[in-house]
Amino acid sequence: MNQKEYRVSKPISDVIFEIVVVIFLTTFVIVTLYPVINTVALSFNDGIDAVRGGIYLWPRKLSMKNYKTVFAMQNIWVGAKVTVARTVLATLTSLFANALLAFVVSRKRFLFKSQLSLFWVITMYVNGGMIPVFLLYKNLGLTGTFHVYWIPGMISAFNMLVMRTYMEGIPESLEESAQLDGAGYFTIFKDIISPLCKPVYATIALFIAVWQWNSWFDAMLYNRMKTEYTTLQYELMKLLSSVMQQSGSAENAKNGAATITPITIRSAVTVATMLPIICLYPFLQRYFVTGLTIGGVKE
Amino acid sequence: MARNEKKEKKGTQITLKEIKRQWFLMLVAAVVVIYGIIFYYWPLTGWIMAFEQYKPKTGLLHSKFIGLDKFRFLFEDDVFVKTIRNTFAMGVINLVSTTIMAVLFAIILNEVRRAWVKKPIQTISYLPHFLSWIVVTSILHVSLSPTGIINDLLLRFGFIKQAINFFAFPKYFWPIVAFANCWKETGWNAIIYLAAITAIDPALYEAASIDGADRLQKIRYITFPGIKPTFLILLLMNVGNVLNAGFEVQYLLGNGLVQSVSQTIDIYVLKWGISQNDFSLGTAAGLFKSAVSIAIIVIANSIAKRYSEQRLF
Amino acid sequence: MKFKKITALLLSFAMMGTLLVGCGNNAGGAAPATGATSDGGSATTDAAPGEVTEFTMFITMPGSEINDDNEIAQMIADKWGVKVKETWLTGQTASEATGTLVAGGEYPDFIDSDEMNQLVDADALIPLDDYIDQYPEFRDLWFTPEEWEKFRQPDGHIYWINPFGNTLGETKQTTHNDEAFWIQVRVLEWAGYPKIQTMDEYFKLLEDYIAANPTMDDGTENMAYTILCEDWRYFCLENAGQFLAGYPNDGSVIVNKSNMTIEDYNTSEDTKLYLKKLNEEYNKGFVDPESFTQTYDEYIAKLSTGRVLGMVDQWWDFAYTVNDSFKQSGLDLKGCNYVPLGLTTKAGMENRWHTYDDTVNQASGIAITKDCKDPDKAFKFLVDCAMDQELHDLRWWGVKGVDYDVDADGLYFRTDEQRQNWADTTYQAAHRCQYSYFPQWHGTSRDGKNANKPEEQPSEFMNDMAAPLKACFDAYGYTTYPQFIGSVVETNGPWFPMYSYSNNFTTETPGGVAWAKMGECKHENLPKVVMAKDFDKGWEEYMAAYKACKPEDFLAEMQEILDTFK
Repeated sequence: MNQKEYRVSKPISDVIFEIVVVIFLTTFVIVTLYPVINTVALSFNDGIDAVRGGIYLWPRKLSMKNYKTVFAMQNIWVGAKVTVARTVLATLTSLFANALLAFVVSRKRFLFKSQLSLFWVITMYVNGGMIPVFLLYKNLGLTGTFHVYWIPGMISAFNMLVMRTYMEGIPESLEESAQLDGAGYFTIFKDIISPLCKPVYATIALFIAVWQWNSWFDAMLYNRMKTEYTTLQYELMKLLSSVMQQSGSAENAKNGAATITPITIRSAVTVATMLPIICLYPFLQRYFVTGLTIGGVKE
Repeated sequence: MARNEKKEKKGTQITLKEIKRQWFLMLVAAVVVIYGIIFYYWPLTGWIMAFEQYKPKTGLLHSKFIGLDKFRFLFEDDVFVKTIRNTFAMGVINLVSTTIMAVLFAIILNEVRRAWVKKPIQTISYLPHFLSWIVVTSILHVSLSPTGIINDLLLRFGFIKQAINFFAFPKYFWPIVAFANCWKETGWNAIIYLAAITAIDPALYEAASIDGADRLQKIRYITFPGIKPTFLILLLMNVGNVLNAGFEVQYLLGNGLVQSVSQTIDIYVLKWGISQNDFSLGTAAGLFKSAVSIAIIVIANSIAKRYSEQRLF
Repeated sequence: MKFKKITALLLSFAMMGTLLVGCGNNAGGAAPATGATSDGGSATTDAAPGEVTEFTMFITMPGSEINDDNEIAQMIADKWGVKVKETWLTGQTASEATGTLVAGGEYPDFIDSDEMNQLVDADALIPLDDYIDQYPEFRDLWFTPEEWEKFRQPDGHIYWINPFGNTLGETKQTTHNDEAFWIQVRVLEWAGYPKIQTMDEYFKLLEDYIAANPTMDDGTENMAYTILCEDWRYFCLENAGQFLAGYPNDGSVIVNKSNMTIEDYNTSEDTKLYLKKLNEEYNKGFVDPESFTQTYDEYIAKLSTGRVLGMVDQWWDFAYTVNDSFKQSGLDLKGCNYVPLGLTTKAGMENRWHTYDDTVNQASGIAITKDCKDPDKAFKFLVDCAMDQELHDLRWWGVKGVDYDVDADGLYFRTDEQRQNWADTTYQAAHRCQYSYFPQWHGTSRDGKNANKPEEQPSEFMNDMAAPLKACFDAYGYTTYPQFIGSVVETNGPWFPMYSYSNNFTTETPGGVAWAKMGECKHENLPKVVMAKDFDKGWEEYMAAYKACKPEDFLAEMQEILDTFK
């Protein structure tokens, strides 16, 4: 990526281009950053004060109470443990499963390539509804267990197709020469394809991890009464849910009036959710920022 | 990069030798198919619900069979037909705008050479993905209110004479939803494209520079073709989802005055299903959406097959 | 090499998962019933010694969980032998949550759902009739025989008990927890505390005040009137017509007692007058132009700035948050607090904005499921909650000397610090345990002095008032909010409130379909009518759209229900 030597003869169109880039990115950063800063500002603001509105970039009445409330929740640490466990386990298993499947359907010689793809494509657009799924998990003995977090969602057509597309971009000659050396398909997957797929693996791993990290619906549905399998997000959602009375009615609200969660706590919850992912991302980022060179082999 | 698919297609035929050679692929395929049948296809038995007055107590097999009543209920209601239009329109607008933004952002970010600029921008870009809709919509609502910053700016620069209450007019609703989607997801969606860009051989850029190409030309002839497969695959996958234009944004941003353009299928189902725990109605609507999605996908896939090398299946 | 490591890691994780399951499996079956079997008939509140039974409870409402080692919960467990683990609704609708419970066929020990019928259908609940008869004191005190009858299901059994809205002894009601036209005390003070009876007088006063005081002290512009219209909260716009005509809050319809017929307030002359007035004020610029697009948060923020002079709302919907904010920002000292007015379309009419009776909603309540570990003990605890004053005080007042003090006359009071603690979420989780969906009383404690609920304690109520509010109360000579309304004191019919029936309508009947469509139609058209340049044209368009929803189907079904009370 060393561009220095070309600087000398920079065409005028490139200068204009660079100005456009700077303007675009500056606007983009300001517009994108605003809601985040606003959330952070609110999370550090006093709850009753924030009700009046008008807080933009900086808290008006500084308070740490929102974070205290969030972290004083009893089950939050249990939830954090479960969430870390499920995120690590599911990211590894799911990445492996999707990668292997993507490898299979990206083999040009594979006999059922098209059928197998179709089989998975369909799963993206059909869904039997909450109750049949619930009954299935119950009959499989998954409800009320930790396994419900990583087994059911292990293969996802979306992730698989993204990886397939990437793998299809890898020159076939690599596979062929390995086969001439007597390598089996698993060896090709492991030693030839996977090392070249690091960027896409990183991407998908990030997707899976974030998905897992943010999951709460499964914890609520399948482990509602099992505090030992609660997840971080479920605990946080409990704080949020009182403001999202989507099924609300006057009769309900009248009796539950005292349980409205202030906007400031919502914000603190949001920040608490974002932090770990923000910390993790720079480690994955090198896969996106620097490109890989695909061997010396060209077709 | 180049592939020659047509030749390959003819190449492989089902022979015993080929099957033996591919035993590993077959094995993996068999395992995942079994997995898929259990976790994705078996629950589709739930579709029976659409044809019966489902009661949780009697269960799937013994609830009262009512045939197409639920579908009739849906399609005889003018409001539902309108919600299909809304859902479809918002689905398409969102798809187009978020895709363009993500590609644009990924390409432009890739043009930034300095890592100390690039990395922070990328980190910032995907942060809104982690904000919940309730946070994003409340900020949007405040910004677009008659006393909000947008009206303030428009007034100050003389674009308008009087503050506009954007949420009171149906014509602004779809663009606002599209903007909200772009706002929240551009950076996140760009991650896939950034990964795809890394796969482009840097030697291609070097060669182009030596040939005297400027940066726009490099984008046009190298970067864009490089991410085209990813772009097409994502587009193909997402066109099947246009009827899943969502629920939360519209629900949180909508109000009585714009209800004729804000209601989506999901909101409709929730509203009608909620009063009577009508799982059957929701299932019927879901079945309808699935049917439409698969039809769209099949058509899109055959178009893609004809005009490019990408396809879903 | 790396690959092997990852595989090994995967395996070990899978193993770990298996171990976790192994531990988890027996959690559900634990804690079998202890020795506390029913001792038949006696309604004593003496604690049965022995082990603590831990019950689970699911409530299809959002709520705050308390800690497992919550202090008051532990005290209750020590004395009454019962601990309840409450789980609240999160991110689902009540009907989805109930539906999955029924489909799965596993229930918590107690349940309070908005979808009781679904549970009865599924045979998930145990009939409470026999249990109720075992505790005659409770039976006779809690509901009248007619009220109990309302809970009886078509199969002849009672499955749930509504825990709310019951008054013990003398009523201590100081607040008007319902709907009203609210007005800031500074407006009344400015006008010399006039008597306001009609909508015309109300808006005249607001207009005059704005003309004389366009801004607040700090320069913020005053706003005469705003309307909250978000989602289900659009009652702030929708149902004032029934009150203005002098009827009580039946919610969905008007009941004409003289000939026992159902009337539609949506098409009534009073509603038309009400909307016409709003339309007039809107076009004059006195109604907030953001009214129909603002969210609840924005509405509350607006009220909290103190600039809004008046609106229609229910007390519980705004007062707790807004009053706290006023207190913090000192706006309460500038007379920004609201008092209610019982307006009617014409002067001198009777009004029924305030309901003095207890409102019993028979549609939901607390129930015991067939999976309950120990139904006898569970029901006994439910009775204890209602019958044992000590338990009731512990739930609502807290621990004596910690959460409240007692003065020389035996009256309970809280210091500022105690009040703050009680309202603090962290403190609540660790210390406070209300079991808020178990039976509870309003009114006077069995000691004859104190209020059952702290917010109804006169000293608490008065101590909380800022000077301008106090001055307003004194100027009119009132001591409670309902006196501002001045509703007719009368007993409502046994059908009251009719909304408890219409809320349970389903789209399986034509009336239910009509009811749902009417709601949609009003949601879209009422704002349009108010904003219309030409009111009559707007009204006609609205009426045309409204008629298309077939309101007659709905009214006919409501009439059928009313007929059962003839």
